[in-house]
Amino acid sequence: MRAVRLVIARCSVDYAGRLSAHLPLAQRLLVIKADGSVLVHSDGGSYKPLNWMSPPCTLEIDEPGEADVAAGVEQVWTVRHTKSEDRLVISVHEVLHDVTHDLGADPGLVKDGVEGHLQVLLAQHVHTLGEGWTLVRREFPTAIGPVDLMCRDASGAAVAVEIKRRGEIDGVEQLTRYLELLNRDPLLAPVTGVLAAQQIKPQARVLAADRGIRCVTLDYDALRGLDDPTQRLF
Amino acid sequence: MKFSVDRDVLAEAVAWAARTLPQRPPVPVLAGLLVAATPEGLQLSAFDYEVSARIEVAAEVAEPGSALVSGRLLAEICRALPARPVEMSSSDAKVLLSCGSTRFTLLTLPIEEYPALPDMPAVAGTVPGDLFAHAVGQVSVAAGRDDTLPVLTGIRVEIDGERVVLAATDRYRLAVREIDWVPERGGISTVALVPARSLADTARSLSTAATVSVSLAGQSSGDGLVGFEGNGRRTTQRLLDGEFPKFRSLLPSESSSVAVVETSAFVEAVKRVALVAERNTPVRLSFTDGMLTLEAGSGEEAQASEALEAVLTGDEITIAFNPAYLLDGLAALDGSHTRIAFTAASKPAVLSGTSGPDAPVDDSYRYLLMPVRVAG
Repeated sequence: MRAVRLVIARCSVDYAGRLSAHLPLAQRLLVIKADGSVLVHSDGGSYKPLNWMSPPCTLEIDEPGEADVAAGVEQVWTVRHTKSEDRLVISVHEVLHDVTHDLGADPGLVKDGVEGHLQVLLAQHVHTLGEGWTLVRREFPTAIGPVDLMCRDASGAAVAVEIKRRGEIDGVEQLTRYLELLNRDPLLAPVTGVLAAQQIKPQARVLAADRGIRCVTLDYDALRGLDDPTQRLF
Repeated sequence: MKFSVDRDVLAEAVAWAARTLPQRPPVPVLAGLLVAATPEGLQLSAFDYEVSARIEVAAEVAEPGSALVSGRLLAEICRALPARPVEMSSSDAKVLLSCGSTRFTLLTLPIEEYPALPDMPAVAGTVPGDLFAHAVGQVSVAAGRDDTLPVLTGIRVEIDGERVVLAATDRYRLAVREIDWVPERGGISTVALVPARSLADTARSLSTAATVSVSLAGQSSGDGLVGFEGNGRRTTQRLLDGEFPKFRSLLPSESSSVAVVETSAFVEAVKRVALVAERNTPVRLSFTDGMLTLEAGSGEEAQASEALEAVLTGDEITIAFNPAYLLDGLAALDGSHTRIAFTAASKPAVLSGTSGPDAPVDDSYRYLLMPVRVAG
C-alpha cells in the first residue's frame, strides 16, 4: 500500500549520526511516506524539509521516559536508518492533526513535457529554422529510434532536427548517431543536422560546430505565442 | 628563430593577439599563438576560424623563423615578466624565453597543422580610430546578446559613398550612428552584418590608431569577411548571415513633443530612482512645462521620485522605460544635453545628444527606445 501519513504536531527534533542537529519546540508538519522516510517541514523553505531521514529506515513510536513526561512529551518517534547509525528523534508534545491517505500507483515524473511541446510547436512553425523549410514528419523512424523532426530545407535537402530543452553534449552525440545512420540511406543523403534547444551549452556548441551541426536557440514563449510584440519595436 | 624585443611592446602585443584565442579550441593547435620573426620585425597571430588577429611590432631579429606556442601561457608569462629586454629563441621542439635572470622553456605545437589566416580583403575605406571606436561603442549597446535571433547579435554596417551607417537593435531599442569616412574609391555602396561583440572589441583595441582601414569581401566572393587594420594590428571577422530588420521604418518621422534635459543630472537621477525599481519594472518619466519628474516603485514596495529641470516643447507626456535600457542610451549620447522626442506614451521615443535647449539637433546618433506599458 502506498500510504502517506501527514501529522501536524508541536514537537522538537534531534538528529544524531553523521551530523547533529536540533530543532527546538514548535509546530511542524511531519510526513511519513510509504517507503518509510520521514520528513520534518516548517511553513517555509519551499520543497526542503528542515530535517529528514531517507529510506531505508524504520519508525518506532515509544512512550516517553520520566524526564520527557515532565517536559510535556506525549510520544517519542525514533527513526533509525537501516544501514547506518543515524537517528532522527522527534519528541511530540501535542498532535494537532493526523491523517493517512493512500496515494495509489505513481505514474512517475514527466520531465520531457516541454520537450514534447517544443516538438509539436516547432513542427507547426518549421520556418523558425529557415525560410522555405518544410516538415517531412515528426518522430521520423530510424533503426536506433525516432528523430524528432525530419525537414527539407529551401533547396530540398534533408535535415534531421533534434529538439532539447537544454542542448548539451549528449544531444549532439545522439544527433550524430542519427545522422550517421540516415546518411547511409541513398534516398535521403546528404542529411545535415540541427540541434534546436531553448538554451545551448558552450561545450555542445563547439562539438556541434566541429561536426557541422547547426545550433538553433528556440524561444518557447514566442513559439507558444505568449510574447507580446506590442511591447517591442518589431 | 631568434630575436629580442622590448618587454612592454611584447606584453601588449601578446595580450592583444591572445584575446582572439578560442575559449574551447576544437583542435589543439588553435590554442596556439603563432610567433614569427621576420627581417621586418616580430609578427604574432591568432585564429579561431571566426576571428583572426595579427600584430606586427619592432624587434631585433637575429635569426628569422617561426614557432607555435600555447597562447594563453605566453600571455600570462609576458604579463608577469620583469621590465627587462626579452629574448626568444627556438631550438628543436622548444621555445626559450629569457628576460633578465628569468628563463622559460615552452613546448611548441605542430606549426604545419596551423591553419592559414584568411587574407585581408580589398580595402574599402579608412576612418579615424577614435571616431570608429566611439561610434561602434555607441551602437553595440543596443545589439542583442542571446542567440535566439542571431541576426540581432550583429551590427549592420551600411556603406554609401562617404557615409557609413552603423545600426544595432535587440527589438527593444535601436541605435543608429552615421559617420563620415574616406572611401577607397568613389561610388562604393555595400552592406555587411558584423558580430557586435567582436566588432566592439576590435574597435576599442584600434582606438589609438590614427586611421583604421576597413576591408570587405562580400557574400558573393565566398564567405563574407570583414577586415580592420591600424597601428600594425590587423584582424578579420566572419560576417553574419541573415536579413537585418528594416530599421529605418522604425524611426518615427515626426514627434508630438520634444524635451531637453541635462544629461549628467538625468543619468544620476535615473540611477538613484531606479534603486527601488524591482527587476523588470520601469522608471516613469513625467514631462511637464519646465520639469521632469522621475518615479519608480509601486505602492506595495519602496518608492522613489526626483524632479529635474527640463525644457519641454509640445504636449505634456508620461512615459515609462526600462531603466537599464534608458541608462545605456544616455551613456552613449554625445553632448551635454539629452533631447528626447516623443509621439505617444506607447510609442518609441528617440534620444539624441545636443549641447543645450536651443542648440541645433545632432542627428548623427539616435537611440530609439521602446517604452514599457504601465497599468492604469
